[in-house]
Amino acid sequence: MSTMKENTGPSRKWLVRMANIEDSCRTISAGGMAADLGMVAHVAGESQKIFGRLIEFARRAKGLTVEQLAERADVDVAEIVDIERHDDSIPSPRTVYQLAQALNLSPGKLTEVAGLSTARHEVSAAALRFAARSEPTATLSQAEREAFEEFVKVLVENSDGG
Amino acid sequence: MSASVVQIIRRSDEASVDAKLLGGIKPTDLLVVEGEWAPERSVVMQELLQQGVSRDKWPQSLHWDWRKKSPQLKLLESAGYGIVCDKRWQGVMLTKTASHFAMLDKDKGKPLVYVDYLEVAPWNWVIPEIGREGEFRGIGSLLFWRAVKQSQEEGFYGRVGLHALPQSEPFYEKGCGMTPVGRDASKQNLLYFELSRQQAERFLKEGD
Repeated sequence: MSTMKENTGPSRKWLVRMANIEDSCRTISAGGMAADLGMVAHVAGESQKIFGRLIEFARRAKGLTVEQLAERADVDVAEIVDIERHDDSIPSPRTVYQLAQALNLSPGKLTEVAGLSTARHEVSAAALRFAARSEPTATLSQAEREAFEEFVKVLVENSDGG
Repeated sequence: MSASVVQIIRRSDEASVDAKLLGGIKPTDLLVVEGEWAPERSVVMQELLQQGVSRDKWPQSLHWDWRKKSPQLKLLESAGYGIVCDKRWQGVMLTKTASHFAMLDKDKGKPLVYVDYLEVAPWNWVIPEIGREGEFRGIGSLLFWRAVKQSQEEGFYGRVGLHALPQSEPFYEKGCGMTPVGRDASKQNLLYFELSRQQAERFLKEGD
Protein backbone atom coordinates (compact mmCIF):
# COMPACT_ATOMS: atom_id res chain seq x y z
CA MET A 1 0.00 0.00 0.00
CA SER A 2 1.40 3.44 -0.89
CA THR A 3 1.94 6.32 1.51
CA MET A 4 -1.23 8.11 2.69
CA LYS A 5 -1.96 11.34 0.83
CA GLU A 6 -3.56 14.59 1.91
CA ASN A 7 -7.31 14.72 2.18
CA THR A 8 -8.59 15.42 -1.31
CA GLY A 9 -12.23 14.59 -0.65
CA PRO A 10 -15.10 17.00 -1.29
CA SER A 11 -16.18 19.72 1.14
CA ARG A 12 -18.08 18.91 4.32
CA LYS A 13 -20.96 21.16 3.24
CA TRP A 14 -21.36 19.13 0.03
CA LEU A 15 -21.07 15.83 1.87
CA VAL A 16 -23.75 16.78 4.41
CA ARG A 17 -26.15 17.76 1.63
CA MET A 18 -25.50 14.54 -0.27
CA ALA A 19 -25.70 12.46 2.90
CA ASN A 20 -29.15 13.90 3.59
CA ILE A 21 -30.29 12.70 0.16
CA GLU A 22 -28.69 9.29 0.79
CA ASP A 23 -30.57 9.04 4.08
CA SER A 24 -33.89 9.58 2.31
CA CYS A 25 -33.32 6.50 0.12
CA ARG A 26 -33.48 2.98 1.45
CA THR A 27 -30.42 1.98 -0.51
CA ILE A 28 -28.11 3.77 -2.93
CA SER A 29 -26.94 0.57 -4.58
CA ALA A 30 -25.80 0.32 -8.19
CA GLY A 31 -26.84 -3.07 -9.47
CA GLY A 32 -25.33 -3.75 -12.91
CA MET A 33 -23.15 -6.59 -11.68
CA ALA A 34 -25.95 -7.99 -9.52
CA ALA A 35 -28.23 -7.96 -12.57
CA ASP A 36 -25.62 -9.78 -14.66
CA LEU A 37 -25.44 -12.47 -12.00
CA GLY A 38 -29.24 -12.71 -11.65
CA MET A 39 -29.30 -11.23 -8.15
CA VAL A 40 -31.81 -8.41 -8.64
CA ALA A 41 -35.16 -9.27 -7.11
CA HIS A 42 -38.00 -8.87 -9.55
CA VAL A 43 -38.89 -5.41 -8.36
CA ALA A 44 -38.96 -3.46 -11.61
CA GLY A 45 -41.68 -5.40 -13.44
CA GLU A 46 -44.72 -3.31 -12.56
CA SER A 47 -44.48 -1.48 -15.89
CA GLN A 48 -44.85 -4.71 -17.86
CA LYS A 49 -47.81 -5.78 -15.74
CA ILE A 50 -49.60 -2.49 -16.40
CA PHE A 51 -48.64 -2.51 -20.07
CA GLY A 52 -50.03 -6.01 -20.61
CA ARG A 53 -53.24 -5.12 -18.80
CA LEU A 54 -53.63 -1.94 -20.87
CA ILE A 55 -53.14 -3.72 -24.20
CA GLU A 56 -55.71 -6.36 -23.27
CA PHE A 57 -58.27 -3.73 -22.20
CA ALA A 58 -57.65 -1.56 -25.24
CA ARG A 59 -58.04 -4.55 -27.56
CA ARG A 60 -61.26 -5.67 -25.91
CA ALA A 61 -62.65 -2.14 -25.84
CA LYS A 62 -62.28 -2.06 -29.63
CA GLY A 63 -63.90 -5.47 -29.90
CA LEU A 64 -60.80 -7.06 -31.41
CA THR A 65 -59.62 -10.63 -30.99
CA VAL A 66 -55.92 -11.25 -30.42
CA GLU A 67 -55.66 -12.44 -34.02
CA GLN A 68 -57.33 -9.29 -35.35
CA LEU A 69 -55.05 -7.02 -33.32
CA ALA A 70 -52.01 -9.01 -34.46
CA GLU A 71 -53.00 -8.55 -38.08
CA ARG A 72 -53.83 -4.86 -37.68
CA ALA A 73 -50.53 -4.14 -35.85
CA ASP A 74 -48.40 -6.52 -37.92
CA VAL A 75 -47.19 -8.21 -34.75
CA ASP A 76 -47.07 -11.96 -34.08
CA VAL A 77 -50.08 -13.44 -32.29
CA ALA A 78 -47.72 -15.18 -29.87
CA GLU A 79 -46.10 -11.88 -28.92
CA ILE A 80 -49.43 -10.28 -28.06
CA VAL A 81 -50.47 -13.31 -26.02
CA ASP A 82 -47.13 -13.09 -24.21
CA ILE A 83 -47.59 -9.38 -23.47
CA GLU A 84 -51.14 -9.86 -22.17
CA ARG A 85 -50.52 -13.01 -20.13
CA HIS A 86 -46.98 -12.77 -18.77
CA ASP A 87 -46.08 -9.98 -16.38
CA ASP A 88 -42.35 -10.31 -17.11
CA SER A 89 -42.75 -9.96 -20.88
CA ILE A 90 -40.71 -7.01 -22.17
CA PRO A 91 -41.96 -5.74 -25.56
CA SER A 92 -39.61 -4.46 -28.24
CA PRO A 93 -39.80 -0.76 -29.17
CA ARG A 94 -41.16 -1.74 -32.62
CA THR A 95 -43.97 -3.79 -31.07
CA VAL A 96 -44.93 -0.92 -28.77
CA TYR A 97 -45.01 1.46 -31.73
CA GLN A 98 -47.09 -0.90 -33.88
CA LEU A 99 -49.57 -1.55 -31.07
CA ALA A 100 -49.90 2.17 -30.40
CA GLN A 101 -50.73 2.79 -34.06
CA ALA A 102 -53.26 -0.05 -34.15
CA LEU A 103 -54.98 1.09 -30.94
CA ASN A 104 -54.84 4.85 -31.66
CA LEU A 105 -52.63 5.62 -28.66
CA SER A 106 -49.62 7.91 -28.40
CA PRO A 107 -46.51 5.82 -29.23
CA GLY A 108 -44.33 7.99 -26.98
CA LYS A 109 -46.59 7.66 -23.98
CA LEU A 110 -47.19 3.97 -24.56
CA THR A 111 -43.40 3.55 -24.56
CA GLU A 112 -43.35 5.17 -21.13
CA VAL A 113 -46.02 2.78 -19.88
CA ALA A 114 -44.00 -0.16 -21.20
CA GLY A 115 -41.07 1.01 -19.10
CA LEU A 116 -38.85 1.50 -22.14
CA SER A 117 -38.38 5.15 -21.27
CA THR A 118 -38.84 7.12 -18.08
CA ALA A 119 -42.51 7.81 -17.43
CA ARG A 120 -43.53 11.38 -16.81
CA HIS A 121 -45.57 12.01 -13.69
CA GLU A 122 -48.96 12.27 -15.43
CA VAL A 123 -48.48 8.90 -17.13
CA SER A 124 -47.16 7.21 -13.99
CA ALA A 125 -50.04 8.47 -11.88
CA ALA A 126 -52.68 7.42 -14.43
CA ALA A 127 -51.01 4.02 -14.82
CA LEU A 128 -51.05 3.43 -11.08
CA ARG A 129 -54.74 4.36 -10.81
CA PHE A 130 -55.51 2.05 -13.70
CA ALA A 131 -53.52 -0.83 -12.17
CA ALA A 132 -55.17 -0.39 -8.80
CA ARG A 133 -58.68 -0.59 -10.18
CA SER A 134 -58.36 -3.23 -12.87
CA GLU A 135 -58.34 -7.01 -12.86
CA PRO A 136 -58.14 -9.20 -15.96
CA THR A 137 -61.70 -10.40 -16.46
CA ALA A 138 -63.74 -11.57 -19.42
CA THR A 139 -65.76 -8.35 -19.63
CA LEU A 140 -65.02 -4.80 -18.57
CA SER A 141 -66.83 -3.79 -15.36
CA GLN A 142 -68.01 -0.20 -14.98
CA ALA A 143 -65.15 0.65 -12.61
CA GLU A 144 -62.61 -0.98 -14.93
CA ARG A 145 -64.00 0.85 -17.92
CA GLU A 146 -63.80 4.19 -16.10
CA ALA A 147 -60.20 3.52 -15.03
CA PHE A 148 -59.32 2.42 -18.53
CA GLU A 149 -60.93 5.44 -20.15
CA GLU A 150 -59.16 7.79 -17.76
CA PHE A 151 -55.84 6.12 -18.54
CA VAL A 152 -56.43 6.22 -22.30
CA LYS A 153 -57.32 9.91 -22.03
CA VAL A 154 -53.85 10.59 -20.62
CA LEU A 155 -52.30 8.46 -23.35
CA VAL A 156 -53.91 10.35 -26.22
CA GLU A 157 -53.89 13.90 -24.79
CA ASN A 158 -51.24 16.03 -26.45
CA SER A 159 -50.38 13.02 -28.55
CA ASP A 160 -46.80 13.30 -29.76
CA GLY A 161 -47.68 11.42 -32.87
CA GLY A 162 -44.68 9.21 -32.73
CA MET B 1 -3.46 -0.82 -3.91
CA SER B 2 -3.51 2.98 -3.41
CA ALA B 3 -4.78 4.82 -0.36
CA SER B 4 -5.86 8.38 0.43
CA VAL B 5 -7.69 10.08 3.26
CA VAL B 6 -11.29 11.25 2.95
CA GLN B 7 -13.70 12.42 5.59
CA ILE B 8 -17.04 10.78 6.35
CA ILE B 9 -19.69 11.88 8.83
CA ARG B 10 -20.28 10.04 12.11
CA ARG B 11 -24.00 10.19 12.74
CA SER B 12 -23.87 10.07 16.53
CA ASP B 13 -22.27 13.53 16.82
CA GLU B 14 -22.24 14.69 13.14
CA ALA B 15 -18.44 15.00 13.36
CA SER B 16 -16.22 14.59 10.29
CA VAL B 17 -13.91 11.63 10.80
CA ASP B 18 -10.99 10.38 8.72
CA ALA B 19 -11.40 7.28 6.60
CA LYS B 20 -9.18 5.52 4.08
CA LEU B 21 -10.21 5.49 0.46
CA LEU B 22 -8.52 2.42 -1.00
CA GLY B 23 -8.05 1.88 -4.72
CA GLY B 24 -7.31 -1.31 -6.62
CA ILE B 25 -10.20 -3.33 -5.15
CA LYS B 26 -10.94 -6.51 -7.14
CA PRO B 27 -14.27 -8.36 -7.46
CA THR B 28 -12.94 -11.24 -5.37
CA ASP B 29 -12.27 -8.78 -2.52
CA LEU B 30 -16.05 -8.75 -2.09
CA LEU B 31 -15.70 -12.17 -0.48
CA VAL B 32 -13.69 -10.55 2.32
CA VAL B 33 -16.10 -7.64 2.57
CA GLU B 34 -19.05 -10.01 2.68
CA GLY B 35 -17.46 -11.75 5.63
CA GLU B 36 -18.03 -8.50 7.56
CA TRP B 37 -21.35 -7.53 6.05
CA ALA B 38 -23.27 -10.81 5.89
CA PRO B 39 -23.78 -11.23 9.67
CA GLU B 40 -25.16 -7.67 9.88
CA ARG B 41 -27.47 -8.29 6.90
CA SER B 42 -28.78 -11.31 8.74
CA VAL B 43 -29.52 -9.22 11.85
CA VAL B 44 -31.27 -6.57 9.73
CA MET B 45 -33.43 -9.23 8.09
CA GLN B 46 -34.40 -10.71 11.44
CA GLU B 47 -35.38 -7.26 12.76
CA LEU B 48 -37.48 -6.57 9.65
CA LEU B 49 -39.26 -9.92 10.05
CA GLN B 50 -39.82 -9.45 13.79
CA GLN B 51 -41.30 -5.99 13.29
CA GLY B 52 -43.49 -7.20 10.42
CA VAL B 53 -42.11 -4.58 8.03
CA SER B 54 -43.66 -5.02 4.57
CA ARG B 55 -41.35 -6.35 1.87
CA ASP B 56 -41.53 -3.20 -0.25
CA LYS B 57 -39.73 -1.36 2.56
CA TRP B 58 -36.86 -3.83 2.82
CA PRO B 59 -33.57 -2.62 1.32
CA GLN B 60 -33.51 -4.09 -2.18
CA SER B 61 -29.91 -5.24 -1.81
CA LEU B 62 -30.61 -7.07 1.46
CA HIS B 63 -30.29 -10.51 -0.13
CA TRP B 64 -27.00 -9.84 -1.94
CA ASP B 65 -24.41 -12.37 -0.83
CA TRP B 66 -21.38 -12.44 -3.07
CA ARG B 67 -19.99 -15.56 -1.40
CA LYS B 68 -22.59 -17.49 -3.39
CA LYS B 69 -21.13 -16.05 -6.61
CA SER B 70 -17.49 -16.77 -5.94
CA PRO B 71 -16.78 -18.58 -9.26
CA GLN B 72 -18.34 -15.79 -11.31
CA LEU B 73 -16.51 -13.04 -9.39
CA LYS B 74 -13.18 -14.52 -10.45
CA LEU B 75 -14.10 -13.93 -14.09
CA LEU B 76 -15.10 -10.27 -13.76
CA GLU B 77 -12.75 -7.56 -14.99
CA SER B 78 -13.97 -4.65 -12.92
CA ALA B 79 -11.83 -2.87 -10.32
CA GLY B 80 -12.64 -0.20 -7.83
CA TYR B 81 -12.53 1.46 -4.45
CA GLY B 82 -13.42 0.82 -0.85
CA ILE B 83 -13.81 3.08 2.19
CA VAL B 84 -12.43 1.77 5.48
CA CYS B 85 -13.04 3.35 8.89
CA ASP B 86 -12.94 1.80 12.36
CA LYS B 87 -11.13 -1.12 10.71
CA ARG B 88 -14.31 -2.08 8.84
CA TRP B 89 -15.39 -1.80 5.20
CA GLN B 90 -17.92 1.05 5.13
CA GLY B 91 -18.64 0.92 1.40
CA VAL B 92 -17.31 -0.57 -1.83
CA MET B 93 -17.59 0.31 -5.53
CA LEU B 94 -16.45 -1.57 -8.64
CA THR B 95 -16.10 0.13 -12.01
CA LYS B 96 -15.37 -0.75 -15.63
CA THR B 97 -13.62 1.54 -18.09
CA ALA B 98 -13.75 -0.34 -21.39
CA SER B 99 -17.15 -1.97 -21.60
CA HIS B 100 -19.74 0.82 -21.73
CA PHE B 101 -20.19 3.91 -23.86
CA ALA B 102 -22.22 7.09 -23.51
CA MET B 103 -25.83 6.99 -24.70
CA LEU B 104 -26.72 10.66 -24.17
CA ASP B 105 -26.80 12.63 -27.39
CA LYS B 106 -23.88 15.07 -27.12
CA ASP B 107 -21.25 12.44 -26.29
CA LYS B 108 -22.98 9.38 -27.70
CA GLY B 109 -20.57 6.49 -28.25
CA LYS B 110 -17.75 8.01 -26.21
CA PRO B 111 -16.19 6.03 -23.34
CA LEU B 112 -17.30 6.42 -19.75
CA VAL B 113 -16.71 4.90 -16.33
CA TYR B 114 -19.42 2.32 -15.70
CA VAL B 115 -20.23 1.71 -12.02
CA ASP B 116 -20.86 -2.02 -11.97
CA TYR B 117 -21.43 -2.23 -8.23
CA LEU B 118 -21.81 0.28 -5.41
CA GLU B 119 -22.95 -0.59 -1.93
CA VAL B 120 -22.59 0.68 1.64
CA ALA B 121 -22.20 -1.48 4.73
CA PRO B 122 -25.50 -2.63 6.26
CA TRP B 123 -24.74 -0.89 9.58
CA ASN B 124 -24.87 2.38 7.66
CA TRP B 125 -28.36 1.77 6.29
CA VAL B 126 -31.18 4.06 7.41
CA ILE B 127 -34.31 1.96 8.11
CA PRO B 128 -36.74 3.96 10.27
CA GLU B 129 -39.20 1.05 10.69
CA ILE B 130 -36.68 -0.85 12.84
CA GLY B 131 -35.01 2.20 14.36
CA ARG B 132 -31.82 1.97 12.35
CA GLU B 133 -30.18 5.33 11.73
CA GLY B 134 -26.83 4.21 10.33
CA GLU B 135 -23.38 4.73 11.89
CA PHE B 136 -21.66 6.72 9.15
CA ARG B 137 -23.12 9.02 6.50
CA GLY B 138 -22.09 10.06 3.01
CA ILE B 139 -20.34 6.81 2.05
CA GLY B 140 -22.22 6.29 -1.22
CA SER B 141 -21.79 9.94 -2.19
CA LEU B 142 -18.03 9.74 -1.70
CA LEU B 143 -17.77 6.57 -3.77
CA PHE B 144 -19.77 8.12 -6.60
CA TRP B 145 -17.64 11.26 -6.38
CA ARG B 146 -14.58 8.98 -6.76
CA ALA B 147 -16.12 7.43 -9.90
CA VAL B 148 -16.51 10.88 -11.47
CA LYS B 149 -12.90 11.75 -10.58
CA GLN B 150 -11.76 8.42 -12.05
CA SER B 151 -13.60 9.28 -15.25
CA GLN B 152 -11.69 12.56 -15.43
CA GLU B 153 -8.40 10.79 -14.81
CA GLU B 154 -9.16 8.31 -17.59
CA GLY B 155 -9.79 11.20 -19.98
CA PHE B 156 -13.54 10.56 -20.06
CA TYR B 157 -14.42 14.09 -18.84
CA GLY B 158 -16.39 12.83 -15.85
CA ARG B 159 -18.86 10.72 -17.86
CA VAL B 160 -20.33 7.97 -15.66
CA GLY B 161 -23.04 5.37 -16.27
CA LEU B 162 -24.77 2.91 -13.95
CA HIS B 163 -27.90 0.83 -13.38
CA ALA B 164 -29.68 1.76 -10.14
CA LEU B 165 -31.92 -0.37 -7.95
CA PRO B 166 -35.39 1.20 -7.86
CA GLN B 167 -34.95 2.47 -4.28
CA SER B 168 -31.70 4.16 -5.35
CA GLU B 169 -33.11 6.02 -8.34
CA PRO B 170 -33.85 9.32 -6.49
CA PHE B 171 -30.27 9.44 -5.20
CA TYR B 172 -28.74 9.25 -8.65
CA GLU B 173 -31.23 11.57 -10.32
CA LYS B 174 -31.73 14.25 -7.66
CA GLY B 175 -28.53 13.87 -5.64
CA CYS B 176 -25.96 13.18 -8.33
CA GLY B 177 -27.74 15.01 -11.17
CA MET B 178 -27.68 12.04 -13.54
CA THR B 179 -30.08 11.61 -16.45
CA PRO B 180 -32.41 8.58 -16.36
CA VAL B 181 -31.96 7.14 -19.85
CA GLY B 182 -34.37 4.19 -19.75
CA ARG B 183 -35.04 0.72 -18.40
CA ASP B 184 -32.64 -1.93 -19.62
CA ALA B 185 -34.05 -5.37 -20.37
CA SER B 186 -30.51 -6.78 -20.40
CA LYS B 187 -30.06 -5.73 -16.75
CA GLN B 188 -33.20 -7.22 -15.22
CA ASN B 189 -35.07 -4.08 -16.23
CA LEU B 190 -33.10 -1.73 -13.98
CA LEU B 191 -33.13 1.96 -14.89
CA TYR B 192 -29.92 3.10 -16.60
CA PHE B 193 -28.55 6.51 -15.55
CA GLU B 194 -25.82 8.57 -17.13
CA LEU B 195 -23.80 11.59 -16.02
CA SER B 196 -22.80 13.74 -18.99
CA ARG B 197 -19.62 15.78 -19.28
CA GLN B 198 -21.53 18.95 -18.38
CA GLN B 199 -23.35 17.32 -15.46
CA ALA B 200 -20.01 15.99 -14.18
CA GLU B 201 -18.52 19.50 -14.22
CA ARG B 202 -21.46 20.76 -12.16
CA PHE B 203 -21.28 17.82 -9.77
CA LEU B 204 -17.58 18.28 -9.04
CA LYS B 205 -17.86 22.05 -8.77
CA GLU B 206 -20.50 21.70 -6.09
CA GLY B 207 -18.13 19.48 -4.10
CA ASP B 208 -15.23 21.96 -4.14
